[in-house]
Amino acid sequence: MKRYVYINDDESSHELFCDNRISNRKYTVLNFLPKNLWEQFSRFMNQYFLLIACLQLWSLITPVNPASTWGPLIFIFAVSASKEAWDDYNRHLSDKKANEKLVWVVRQGIRKHIQAQDIHVGNIVWLRENDEVPCDLVLIGTSDPQGLCYVETSALDGEIDLKTRVIPAACMGIDFELLHKIKGVIECPNPDKDIRRFDANLRLFPPFIDNDVCPLTIKNTILQSCYLRNTEWACGVAVHTGNETKLGMSRGIPEPKLTAMDAMIDKLTGAIFVFQIVVVMVLGIAGNVWKDTEARKVSLDLVKSLYAKFIDWDSEMIDYETGIPSHATNTAISEDLGQVEYIMTDKTGTLTENRMIFRRCCISGVFYGNEGGDALKDTKLLNAVAGSSPDVVQFLTVMAICNTVIPIKSKTGAILYKAQSQDEDALVNAAAQLHMVYVNKNANILEIRCNGSVIKYEVLETLEFTSDRKRMLVVVKDCQNGKIVLLSKGADEAILPYAYAGQQTRTFIEAVEQYAQLGLRTLCLAWRELKEDEYQEWSLMFKEASSTLVDREWRIAEVCQRLEHDFEVLGVTAIEDRLQDGVPETIETLRKAGINFWMLTGDKQNTAIQIALSCNFISPEPKGQLLLIDGKTEDEVCRSLERVLLTMRITSSEPKDVAFVVDGWALEIALKHYRKAFTELAILSRTAICCRVTPSQKAQLVELLKSCDYRTLAIGDGGNDVRMIHKLISVLALVEEKGCRLQEQLIIVLESSAFLSQYSFYKSLVICFIQIFFSFISGVSGTSLFNSVSLMAYNVFYTSVPVLVSVLDKDLSEGTVMQHPQILFYCQAGRLLNPSTFAGWFGRSLFHAIVVFVITIHAYAYEKSEMEELSMVALSGCIWLQAFVVALETNSFTILQHLAIWGNLVAFYVINWIISAIPASGMYTIMFRLCRQPSYWITMFLIVAAGMGPVLALKYFRYTYRPSKINTLQQAERMGGPILSLGNIEPQPRSMEKEVSPLSITQPKSRSPVYEPLLSDSPNSSRRSLGSGTPFDFFQSQSRLSSSYSRNCKDN
Amino acid sequence: MSSNTPSSSAGGVGSADSAAPRRNSKRPKYSKFTQQELPACKPILTPRWVISAFMLVSIVFIPIGVVSLFASRDVVEIVDRYETACVPDNFRNDKVSFIQNETTNKICTRNLTVPKRMKQPIYVYYQLDNFYQNHRRYVKSRSDSQLKDNSSWDDVSSCKPEDNANGMPIVPCGLIAWSLFNDTYNFSLNNQQLAVNKRGISWKSDRDSKFGSDVFPRNFQNGLLIGGKRLDPNVSLSEQEDLIVWMRTAALPTFRKLYGKIERDLQPNEVIQVTLENNYNTYSFNGKKRLVLSTTSWLGGKNDFLGIAYLTVGGLCFFLALSFTIVYLVKPRRLGDPSYLSWNRNPGGH
Repeated sequence: MKRYVYINDDESSHELFCDNRISNRKYTVLNFLPKNLWEQFSRFMNQYFLLIACLQLWSLITPVNPASTWGPLIFIFAVSASKEAWDDYNRHLSDKKANEKLVWVVRQGIRKHIQAQDIHVGNIVWLRENDEVPCDLVLIGTSDPQGLCYVETSALDGEIDLKTRVIPAACMGIDFELLHKIKGVIECPNPDKDIRRFDANLRLFPPFIDNDVCPLTIKNTILQSCYLRNTEWACGVAVHTGNETKLGMSRGIPEPKLTAMDAMIDKLTGAIFVFQIVVVMVLGIAGNVWKDTEARKVSLDLVKSLYAKFIDWDSEMIDYETGIPSHATNTAISEDLGQVEYIMTDKTGTLTENRMIFRRCCISGVFYGNEGGDALKDTKLLNAVAGSSPDVVQFLTVMAICNTVIPIKSKTGAILYKAQSQDEDALVNAAAQLHMVYVNKNANILEIRCNGSVIKYEVLETLEFTSDRKRMLVVVKDCQNGKIVLLSKGADEAILPYAYAGQQTRTFIEAVEQYAQLGLRTLCLAWRELKEDEYQEWSLMFKEASSTLVDREWRIAEVCQRLEHDFEVLGVTAIEDRLQDGVPETIETLRKAGINFWMLTGDKQNTAIQIALSCNFISPEPKGQLLLIDGKTEDEVCRSLERVLLTMRITSSEPKDVAFVVDGWALEIALKHYRKAFTELAILSRTAICCRVTPSQKAQLVELLKSCDYRTLAIGDGGNDVRMIHKLISVLALVEEKGCRLQEQLIIVLESSAFLSQYSFYKSLVICFIQIFFSFISGVSGTSLFNSVSLMAYNVFYTSVPVLVSVLDKDLSEGTVMQHPQILFYCQAGRLLNPSTFAGWFGRSLFHAIVVFVITIHAYAYEKSEMEELSMVALSGCIWLQAFVVALETNSFTILQHLAIWGNLVAFYVINWIISAIPASGMYTIMFRLCRQPSYWITMFLIVAAGMGPVLALKYFRYTYRPSKINTLQQAERMGGPILSLGNIEPQPRSMEKEVSPLSITQPKSRSPVYEPLLSDSPNSSRRSLGSGTPFDFFQSQSRLSSSYSRNCKDN
Repeated sequence: MSSNTPSSSAGGVGSADSAAPRRNSKRPKYSKFTQQELPACKPILTPRWVISAFMLVSIVFIPIGVVSLFASRDVVEIVDRYETACVPDNFRNDKVSFIQNETTNKICTRNLTVPKRMKQPIYVYYQLDNFYQNHRRYVKSRSDSQLKDNSSWDDVSSCKPEDNANGMPIVPCGLIAWSLFNDTYNFSLNNQQLAVNKRGISWKSDRDSKFGSDVFPRNFQNGLLIGGKRLDPNVSLSEQEDLIVWMRTAALPTFRKLYGKIERDLQPNEVIQVTLENNYNTYSFNGKKRLVLSTTSWLGGKNDFLGIAYLTVGGLCFFLALSFTIVYLVKPRRLGDPSYLSWNRNPGGH
């Protein structure tokens, strides 16, 4: 399937393709109600309530007023519908903003300012620097004479470094004015979501060029939501618009997120439903025995669900946003947060700060910067520079010019560098500080100012860094003496083996190792002089290779390989990329808490491994072991997967940290063909590093874990994580430094949500049991003991308010949780919320129902057995018990808790007094009457004592003699004694840093050093993994983690 | 690094200018509430706390139990079950036909001996057993609007099956009113008529606002089946106190309803002669009928339950307090010992 895009043809394409209106909306005004209701009713829970509510419309079998069910039902639905509507409205607003943004588009040969949504396929769109790209474009012109432009693709793939894009050869050299009138046809595939491929052809119509077909690649495109950077202007032809762009195609549809708790409640509702059917059967038979022909129907109604009625509605109405300075876009997340078992995190900008600083170097075997931790302040080096030591000058020259940095003179005369990668930026700046200033780049001529003298180089060829080659190559010609020099910089494993035969590379290896142990990113610099004829010969081959259409990249690499030998290695640089504050500690604690960590990154393997090491993600040898899954073909991947799996199975019993590393390619194959094996691996492994993964692979991974029923949390910052997060149950945006705080939050949230649903369950069951008991003394006829108003109020108000506050309950203090992160492990997987604790609450509710019922009917027997009075006595009994149950389950009483628990009790009386003062109400004067009776109050105290006594005794017994882990910590915390830390809780590795590492005195504490030679002996990885060093690894930093599904890529 | 800033900030501009202000505004204001740092008291269940709580409960409950029990014992109660005794011997095997036969003599005389001095007011109740006034269909079979307001006299929709008779709405309609209790009691003491005050036996609120003074019985007990008492069509519902009492349905199948009050003291061993008319049919459902004369205390009628329950709960609490103390002394256990934490017992083994 192909589409033909006619450039600048104003009429033809309008009907064929959609316009550029993007829409992330889920609903329209018309379909909102049906669609939203459909979604809400796709939950079993809601279906159940609807069934009940419908049954209640049939007045014959309804003991209570239908309003008591319909009212809350409609209210709850209205609340969640308005929430959905609000979310959707916000999505709509951000879409609208993007749609109405003004862009320059050529219409009838003239540039016009029109709204982005009016762009049609075939239009020529003009962009200025820092503009966002409104749709997928094929470049046809830029301000750069070379036809280059730079784009930031962070919203697509999360990589914040700048990518170069180039105009197709056919458009090269077209005049600025002529670009308005350009005509042609682009033959391109139908929209897909692959952001790495764009196989198309361009043919310009005369008079522009001959009829040649010019092939287009992804290099010639700029995709929607990228930003144009460092380029004054660029223009392109719209080929995909609106929701048909690559980004639009890869956008998932936001699904309603069902939290684990919801799922659990759905299951329980199912159980309750079955339970009801059973009760109906039994009571139906009993009713028949009692000679009531309608008993069956009636009892269906009696049992009618009072249970469960509001089980989770309470919890859904609660908003936990108050907790940490975070914004929960989905109000239901916190339940799951506590039960997270897998955390998938993005690396760049999430774990690291992405601020590269040149720290140390090793030039010709001399280490600089070791004493002060900063080579730029090392007097030794400064002296060497001042003395123009040839080694150092060569080294600095390579540092300054072996890159793709573009220097720009600002008005003040200072030189600014525009770099694609942070590493290069760091190196060039460091060189500049060492008096090797990269002054200017004019076409192919570079100017370097070294100690006052200006040296010019002509750049002959540049081969940018590729992940396969792991090095960069620049061939320059010294304009002074005409010498042709090959400069190279790259990872140690890509440079050192190519040193000339006589050179001692041992010191460099040592340097690399030493720096790597400090967690610095290393790069080796090398050079070689080329002979004129050697270059000429090679140059021809290079030109030929770079014009091939098939396997171009591979051919070029091959050609370059011929030149890369007999390097003279100049030295090693070490660049620091700081981790964000607290990252290693946070990860360490979370891992102790039994949470499995996965790092998903678009980065290369080595970088990923290195970062993983430095942030305690994986443990160094011998404690940890790193397994590698790689391979280019199915077979290779399969074999390596099996090997890893085998190792994993063997070591799973040992207390060893085994992690696996997989790259995007292997992952693709593994997910496609060996899904089962990979799933097993995923379950076995506590840690995984996935490098070079695409956004949709991230999403696939999340889905994989989700399908195994694991609670997964994804953390990310870029648009590339949006899909992954969409797939997820939980979305959160939090401030990284608050990671520890989050933990504490987890427990609280978890406890309170567990308590919440158990409690809702309990309070509904109490009423239901009382109703059932009452049915036995009302001829199994299904009379409701309680009137509709009381029931509604009971469910919605009286028993919800204390629960609302219980959300603020704090089990353990922050400090305790931090010291015993294992407690989280205990909380995982719904250990606090499981059928057996539910059984406990079930028993409690049964017991309390019996207490309330028995005491009420005996204390209010005979002449006092008036219906309304008795019902109020029973209800107030329940309310009193609830208050004490909540009080007993509350761990910390703040003023709010007191207010809610006891204020609620008071509110119950106030409200009932008010109702009792209304003559028209059924319970007119009842409450006044009761409150005047001493027997009423005596009954209440009796109910409380009889109901709470055993509960308290049992709780005390378990608390003291069979304490849960949380209990023990609570006790320890509040007894005020020092909390002993045994086992593997301490010490934090950071504390050892100063004693052990002499090199890291001035190292900021953000690194945790690694002492053992890492990974060197593990079977599937090699020492090479340590050599990091790629110019394009690190992206610009976004120091905050933030992600939210409502904030879509568009808006990012 | 200073010279580096433009390039990095240039990269950040696009994302920062849209996101940054929003992020800031989202950051919640600091308050103790939002940070969950409100001063909190965190009680834990220490042995001392729990034992003293139980002790306290038992100390409070046992005296209250004793007082309640005494109050209940102070109440003098005469209960006379008469539904079988008031059926002539020849009808003993077929009580239903006796009660349904309009011609049989329903008058019955009972003698009650006063066991102890009874201070006025002495309440006269009738007690019905196995009478499910709380049955769903029974409870609902009434029309409150009709009872209250003459203008809605034909609002009988909820009254089935006693809504219409002979094509006309019944006032008061419904099963409850239809089944109004119709035994009557006449008391005499030493051949002197013992006055029973039947005024003020119902709730004042009911008379004032639930039963209208302009609503008169109409077409009542005119159907094929006669349920119970007939009402004087000339007396408004708000003055038909027997009906008002009866319409306050009981929640339990055994209940007492106030019949009247005797407003004089009765001395021990006085014999009250009750002439009763045994009209009400409880025989078809094996219901029992009792006549109850009772004084009252601050706690209400004679009911030992509360006293006994208080004593039991108090006693149990005492027992629990005691046993907890013993367990605590015999087998003390340090609270919050981290060595109970499983991960401390076998390090690394979770």
